[in-house]
Amino acid sequence: MVAVLPPRLGEATRRVIAANAVMAGCPPELTPVVVTAVRALARPEVNLRGVNATTHPVAPLVVVHGEAVDALGFNAGLGVLGPGNRANATVGRAVRLVLLHVAGAVPGPGDASTQGGPAKYTYCIAENLPASPWEGYARSVGVHAPSAVTVHCGEAPHNFHDMDSDEPARILEKCATAMATFGVNNACISQGEFFVLLCPEHAATIAGAGWGRRDVASFLYERARRPAGDYRAMFGSLAWDPWMHAVPDDHPLPVTGSADNIRVVVTGGAGKHSSVVPSWGMTASVTLPLEG
Amino acid sequence: MVQIVAPDGRVGAPPVGLAAPKRSLAGLTIGVLDNNKPNAGLLLDRVASRLAERTGAIVGFRAEKNAAIPCEDQVLDRMTKEVQVVLTGSAD
Repeated sequence: MVAVLPPRLGEATRRVIAANAVMAGCPPELTPVVVTAVRALARPEVNLRGVNATTHPVAPLVVVHGEAVDALGFNAGLGVLGPGNRANATVGRAVRLVLLHVAGAVPGPGDASTQGGPAKYTYCIAENLPASPWEGYARSVGVHAPSAVTVHCGEAPHNFHDMDSDEPARILEKCATAMATFGVNNACISQGEFFVLLCPEHAATIAGAGWGRRDVASFLYERARRPAGDYRAMFGSLAWDPWMHAVPDDHPLPVTGSADNIRVVVTGGAGKHSSVVPSWGMTASVTLPLEG
Repeated sequence: MVQIVAPDGRVGAPPVGLAAPKRSLAGLTIGVLDNNKPNAGLLLDRVASRLAERTGAIVGFRAEKNAAIPCEDQVLDRMTKEVQVVLTGSAD
């Protein structure tokens, strides 16, 4: 048994997961990636019951790290988010089929998403470690394994572009404006994470100025803000950390409760487009070593 | 031989079952667990008071929770001790 998946409480055994992987078109060697992703989704901090049942268009973004990226044929470069190569497309689809079949996340009885979304079809990428100026994401969160899998339950990606900046702040100011929008759940739920998917060229410019991953998160935490009173005017209910309720209306309040909630992954190919994946909110990402 | 494998898996046992329905609400205490969705509290409080009027129950402990996460243990503990019937909402 790998996991019991709500709301249906279906039992995801290796055999059942493999059946879904076959239906998705996964070659056998990709099955451990699907199994690892399913195990991660069952962790309590993911809150899979909520992820599957909410009206929000949340979908699990699966990120593959390390040696498995090249060894299993994942695309971490140009077009990483689509149109899709076989490994990215089929692993993402297999995870969705497991959620549909085993978890029962079927529109209506098990998935109340108002409009759904393309990320609910397939949503799997790989970290472009050879093109990253920093250590691998998994290692940065304490997972020291040759390969790993992260799941982050969020929205479809929000693009931001910067074609001509030669220093970090001008690039990341654009990212900050993409984050600090009232339309995302992060605006009213302070525990929500953002995954910032930096393209290699943006990452190189930022790292060239001596910035690390932590500096990116800290800068975005400082700049992705709105006056507290504007949030209060926009929402009837704010699931904020207690201190956020105490600040005056004119205080520039961050769009997430901590810089730790801003996660940076380098992915994609040539060009100067990066993206932000906001969270559903009441969920936390999980990174696990890839199962053998 | 062709073997067919179902992709949905067995359904596991739920961790908890539903309590048996009450034959009568007379003399029982009704709790309200507001899921904090718009107007949920208004609806639940009104239903609770109308039920109490009609059946002889009383309205007791009231709590709020976020709809997206499980109820806090201390709220559940208090509900368990103080009320016999709970009104709550699911979804929006």
